[in-house]
Amino acid sequence: MNTSLLRMLMCCLLLLPLFSAGQDSASIYTAQLLQPPADSVRTQAIGRLAALRIPATFPLLMAINDKKLYLLDQQAVTIDSHPSGEGTYRLYTLYPDNTLLTNSSGQPLLLPLSALKTVDIPRADRLQLAGIAPLLNLFSNDPQKRSLAYSQLKHTSDSATLRILKAALAKESNADALRTGKDALYAIQLYNASTTTIAKANIDSIADNWSDNAPVLLRDYAKSGFLNQETAQYAAAKAVGLEKRYDNLQRVQHFFSGLSLGSILVLIALGLSIVYGLAGIINMAHGEFMMIGAYTTYCTQIIFTKALGVPQTDLFFFFALPFSFLVAGSLGWVLERLVIRHLYAKPLESLLATWGVSLILIQTARLLFGDLTAVKTPQLLAGGWQVSPHLTLPYNRLFIIALSMLMVLFTYLMLYRTRLGLQIRSVTQNRQMSACLGIETRRVASITFFIGSGLAGLAGCAITLIGNVVPDMGQTYIVDSFLVVVTGGVGKLAGTILSGLGIGFFTKISESFFQAVYGKVFILVFIMLFMQYKPKGLFPDKGRIAED
Amino acid sequence: MKTKNNTLLYILFVAFFAILLPAGYLAGLLSVNTISVWGRYFCFAIAALGIDLIWGYTGILSMCQAFFFCLGSYGIAMHLLLKKTVASGATLPDFMAWNKIDTLPFFWQPFHSFGWSVVLCLLIPAAFAFIIGLVLFRSRIKGVYMAIITQALTLAMWLIFLRNETNLGGTNGLTDFNSILGYSLSSSSVKLALYLVSLTVLCSAYYCCYRITHSKFGKVLQAIRDSESRVSYTAYKVEDYKLAVFVVAALLAAVGGMLYLPQTGIITPGRMDVKASVEMVMWVALGGRGNLKGAVIGALLVNFLYSICTSLFPDSWLFILGFLFVITVLYFDKGFMGLGDIIRQKFSATRLKTSQTH
Repeated sequence: MNTSLLRMLMCCLLLLPLFSAGQDSASIYTAQLLQPPADSVRTQAIGRLAALRIPATFPLLMAINDKKLYLLDQQAVTIDSHPSGEGTYRLYTLYPDNTLLTNSSGQPLLLPLSALKTVDIPRADRLQLAGIAPLLNLFSNDPQKRSLAYSQLKHTSDSATLRILKAALAKESNADALRTGKDALYAIQLYNASTTTIAKANIDSIADNWSDNAPVLLRDYAKSGFLNQETAQYAAAKAVGLEKRYDNLQRVQHFFSGLSLGSILVLIALGLSIVYGLAGIINMAHGEFMMIGAYTTYCTQIIFTKALGVPQTDLFFFFALPFSFLVAGSLGWVLERLVIRHLYAKPLESLLATWGVSLILIQTARLLFGDLTAVKTPQLLAGGWQVSPHLTLPYNRLFIIALSMLMVLFTYLMLYRTRLGLQIRSVTQNRQMSACLGIETRRVASITFFIGSGLAGLAGCAITLIGNVVPDMGQTYIVDSFLVVVTGGVGKLAGTILSGLGIGFFTKISESFFQAVYGKVFILVFIMLFMQYKPKGLFPDKGRIAED
Repeated sequence: MKTKNNTLLYILFVAFFAILLPAGYLAGLLSVNTISVWGRYFCFAIAALGIDLIWGYTGILSMCQAFFFCLGSYGIAMHLLLKKTVASGATLPDFMAWNKIDTLPFFWQPFHSFGWSVVLCLLIPAAFAFIIGLVLFRSRIKGVYMAIITQALTLAMWLIFLRNETNLGGTNGLTDFNSILGYSLSSSSVKLALYLVSLTVLCSAYYCCYRITHSKFGKVLQAIRDSESRVSYTAYKVEDYKLAVFVVAALLAAVGGMLYLPQTGIITPGRMDVKASVEMVMWVALGGRGNLKGAVIGALLVNFLYSICTSLFPDSWLFILGFLFVITVLYFDKGFMGLGDIIRQKFSATRLKTSQTH
């Protein structure tokens, strides 16, 4: 152990002068390249730099290869691949260090192309770099390009390349690219391993690193039987272990997406179920209140960015949540006053009339907003919680789940802990008797309609996090949410939650077995069979009054 | 008084559509497309008769009539497409070749012959209706539950028909036919013939429905609509009656679909999406449910309005339709056909008032 350390130290000492000599010549060639006394000198300088393969010069060479070499105050710089502002780019120095240029206050410096002097390198000179192009990409500013470059290196065994790879890895900042890079490094070391112990150590490293490609890599190694039978079996066993773990994570992922779909369904069906139970109204326009909530969110965003002049802010979304509840709720209240009021306890008629209302609302939205708009996801909810390398739970879905849990809680408290809730429940049970006991059934019904539509609006606001805002977005969910109501039992909170989550889970799980469409058909058949046993839903009313 | 009124209406209807329109075409006043468009409306009216039977007379809101309509259309479309393919010397319809399928799927095989196609077009929807009805009525699913489940069923079928791997043409549907039974579909005499066939079928379907609703069977249906439990207490097998009328309605929808296809020349899954299936019910609601004349007139009028409005002011058609829905449901429970009664009542009421004041 000690001796090997010593040996390494000595190696380093020996290499040091050589390395600094390389550095010196690199600076000379770089200077020649940028201000060539003659064209032939530049050609020669590029050729020498390509042959030397010094990692520190790679950013510069790559800028030449990509035709993105510029001069700013005699300093060689390059730009991002995409503009960061209106035609302005972020700048990076190239040699001797590759860093982001900042202005005096520490913010990234943004300049338009016109402020930079382009350095033209002829095509013939650039062609000299073709041989080391894959290596150059290791030092790209774009993590995806780096990942690709790493994965291309997997099958080389030359030690100079390995050195460059290590140098690149030492600088690597992106987690995904680092994983791919390590994968490549370990793979090279694995194929070059001389003893079983080293091979096994590398196999372990690959398994711990666990990139997307790791099982394939290990299987390939096992199949080739490169070193001996023992390592091959070891690699195969590791690959199987990885795949099993991956499958388990995949199951968690399905569970999670089922939960998220289910919570959206619950959020929508909650209002639907209460309204239907209370007033015997099939509200086909319920989905459109969701659409109204989504457009309210969109408008809030526009108002915040345009009128108030707050460009980059998450604030709008948290204002949009109560707004969408209020706007959708108020429109629901108006609808109740104008149309629904006349249709109490006539479910089929109300179905048709509210369908008409939904047509009008959809067309209005289309005329006002056009066919496709999208709400920007707030920065706070972008990205996800990375539980493990292969399991990311998106924040927006977590937020939706939390929101619907909160709403279920509120609805529960409203129904079972307030006077209004008591009245709602009594009207649901027996309208005439409640009226006899002095409950203003009409007032209760319109308040309920307000709350129900408001909940749909809130659901619409939440859905902008995961999808586009289109005029007929309500239609996508309406049949599903009616199925939730039917399966759960009308006007039953527990039934709605259980069946909403159940249908959500079932959809996602069957999607992992069949294709999405057949999953849906399967669920429908299941619900039809379920209704054979429980025609009134999961939690039917008991007693003689329950019979129609 | 009432029968006289009816007879007059029938005579007017037949005179207008069987004599006036074809005569107008032959005299060169109308284009053949107008004739064909009305032929299509007749097909919708046939399906509307079925909806009126099941919804207007029995009180079961079935939202899967659009699906049965499409089954009829698809059957004939498959036959026409196969005929065209065989005539052009290919073994497979174009879209299957594009989907890289090398043998004809088994369920396409019987559609080589016209006779089998017609039989299957009736048999398949009837079988579907029988199974769906058996499952739903046995578990006493009714009212709203029935409407939602049949709607979900149509949605599921729509999704299946949209897929490419079901070999039914996917989103694009089936189109591009050239002849039926050897007659070219583009010739105007064939179009006129199809129009007349549709009209004849509509009239005979109307007659059948009229006989059904005025028979004992029809009376039981109306009794089920008005109070299902009382009917079952008097030892009628409610489920059997419902099942029978559900199958009849499905058959009517399928017949409408079969006649519809050669006149439009295309069938896509869009004919049975949620919108289309609610719209079909609305024809009957607008015309007047529980009234066969209302169903026919509703289907004809809504579609006529549709073709006028979409060409005159395309943006506002949905507004018009939506307002029609709402207003009809709110104020004209009996649809257009009830409109006359309401006016007559108002009129006699004012006359009564004026005579009293004098």
